[in-house]
Amino acid sequence: MKISIGPVLFEWGRSALKGFWQRMAFESDADVLYLGEVVCSKRQSLSLSDLESLVHELAPSGKELVLSTLGLVMSEEEQQALQRLHELAVGWNVKLEANDMAGIGVAEGYALVAGPHVNVYNPATLDFLQEVGVVRMVFPVELPADSMVGMVRSARVKPVEFELFAHGRLPLTFSARCYTARAFRLSKANCQYKCGDFPDGMITRTQEGEGLLAMNGVQTMSEKVYTLIADVPRLPGLGIDLVRISPQSQHMVEIVAIWRATLDGRMDPEEALIKLGELNGGEPFCNGYFHNQPGMSFYRP
Amino acid sequence: MKRVEVLAPAGNLPSLRAAVDNGADAVYFGFRDATNARNFEGLNFSESEAAQGIAYARQHGVKANVVLNTFPQVNDPSPWYQAVDAAARLQADAIILANIALLRYCRERHPGLPIHLSVQASASNAEAIRFYQRHFQIARVILPRVLTAPEIRVLHDKVDVELEVFAFGGLCVMAEGRCHLSSFVTGVSPNIEGVCSPARAVRFENVDGKLRTRLGGALIAEYGPGEEAAYPTICKGRFQANERVYHVMEEPGSLNILEILPQVIEAGVASLKIEGRQRTKSYVGTVTKILRQAVDSYYENPAAYRAKPAWIRALNATSEGTTHTLGTYEESWQ
Repeated sequence: MKISIGPVLFEWGRSALKGFWQRMAFESDADVLYLGEVVCSKRQSLSLSDLESLVHELAPSGKELVLSTLGLVMSEEEQQALQRLHELAVGWNVKLEANDMAGIGVAEGYALVAGPHVNVYNPATLDFLQEVGVVRMVFPVELPADSMVGMVRSARVKPVEFELFAHGRLPLTFSARCYTARAFRLSKANCQYKCGDFPDGMITRTQEGEGLLAMNGVQTMSEKVYTLIADVPRLPGLGIDLVRISPQSQHMVEIVAIWRATLDGRMDPEEALIKLGELNGGEPFCNGYFHNQPGMSFYRP
Repeated sequence: MKRVEVLAPAGNLPSLRAAVDNGADAVYFGFRDATNARNFEGLNFSESEAAQGIAYARQHGVKANVVLNTFPQVNDPSPWYQAVDAAARLQADAIILANIALLRYCRERHPGLPIHLSVQASASNAEAIRFYQRHFQIARVILPRVLTAPEIRVLHDKVDVELEVFAFGGLCVMAEGRCHLSSFVTGVSPNIEGVCSPARAVRFENVDGKLRTRLGGALIAEYGPGEEAAYPTICKGRFQANERVYHVMEEPGSLNILEILPQVIEAGVASLKIEGRQRTKSYVGTVTKILRQAVDSYYENPAAYRAKPAWIRALNATSEGTTHTLGTYEESWQ
């Protein structure tokens, strides 16, 4: 089973982003790297020429590179940017991850990944998307494992890869409104890039102090880190080809190493859960979606 | 120029009649199962009720659209396909679909049935809309509540389908069809079960004279004596963030576009949708009547149109929190 590093969902700035991808390419056990901005088109941390040089710099690592596209596409500029990303993907011969139906529309026929923000809830939808170019899909994060089994079994018209969001703060939703800007009584138009102050999202708690959400600009995420490490024994039976680890600002190389060891049977999942918990500062994880439970809950297999 | 349509919700036959009797140009409703995103107990239509409803609407020159806006599930997709067939059998004026599998099925099996792309499909841009039009010949798209009025005008010039927008009612502050907040806390998903924030996951508690509302156990808000409590949803909750306690996403209240009605009509929309299939017939009647008056008043003299205070008051009285917002139609909201 391959490990992918999902797109960086946070605003880290140019040099941190470039450094991160260098480490993932040359120091981590990951197989696939997803580059590109998914959350907000106002963030321009990596220009197209930065992306281009990054693709050239990372190529010697031998890892598969994929170009990710915006999750909620609204403006003309965003659609033009999609077209440019498609052209670049063609030129570099890398897959394009569509996270909005616009991405599939723009790049129809090209080798596409249907990202977690494209709603693929049944095999008949996947059948159609395969006809328009999709060669890999990432399950919607809320899809339970039982439904994944059904998808994998009945969707073998053509070879297609299945990727599972397996570790990281869950991307739960997008809005036109920027919640980080709102926290500072600013509007999105004048956001002052406040999301850059929160490298893992702005923690949002209930009035009882329970961690609930992490606001990341126009994206809302889970406060708890989602992890399926304890469920690794079940993954081979599901027919999953890749597990996705979603970037966080700290400990990524170690997290990927723990996942690699666990997937390879060199580390016991219980031990891996404890090690990941230590790297997570002792904060509780969640994994409910996989078990057909509320996403924020943790189910011990 | 074709006049904009007033489109009203119907959770049952009495509401449908209230919509028709109060001046709706069209109504929309769903079947009584998980095939539509207002899958609440005691709500929605059997096939024979749907036939009666469509007949009543037709007698009065009103269109009837059938909603099938959830995603067929892996293990038993058959209810969704049966519902598409039923809508065709009933000769609905349009079917509202969100899912690619159903869009394809409907286009192949029922080529004469006009398709409206559900807001749950989350098509918020010309490329996505053209994709759906190219493959499924959709006649109309219901826009997610993410675009400003000027953005809708730009979009109108870029696509060759009718645009339907939300004009009044509950305000989803997230991109519809792309929101997992309900399933995150309650395990029940709008995309899968057709339900957001189900009543069975809600708790009201009285503690020291304060009313607490919970969803799936999570504290959503706390109200002092005399404060009106809103139905608890995550997106309207009061939480702690950035060292403050506030409505991190949005205050409870309704979307109401009457103050900018000319701007919205002139953006080129074909239909103004009232949200609220889960609401009472009196809500449907009141809101339909006021929207009818507002739209008629606009067409009598567009330049002189003003939202009447009496309309706003009557509409505020129907909505929880008794406040309203222009929501995303105004850029400053974002």
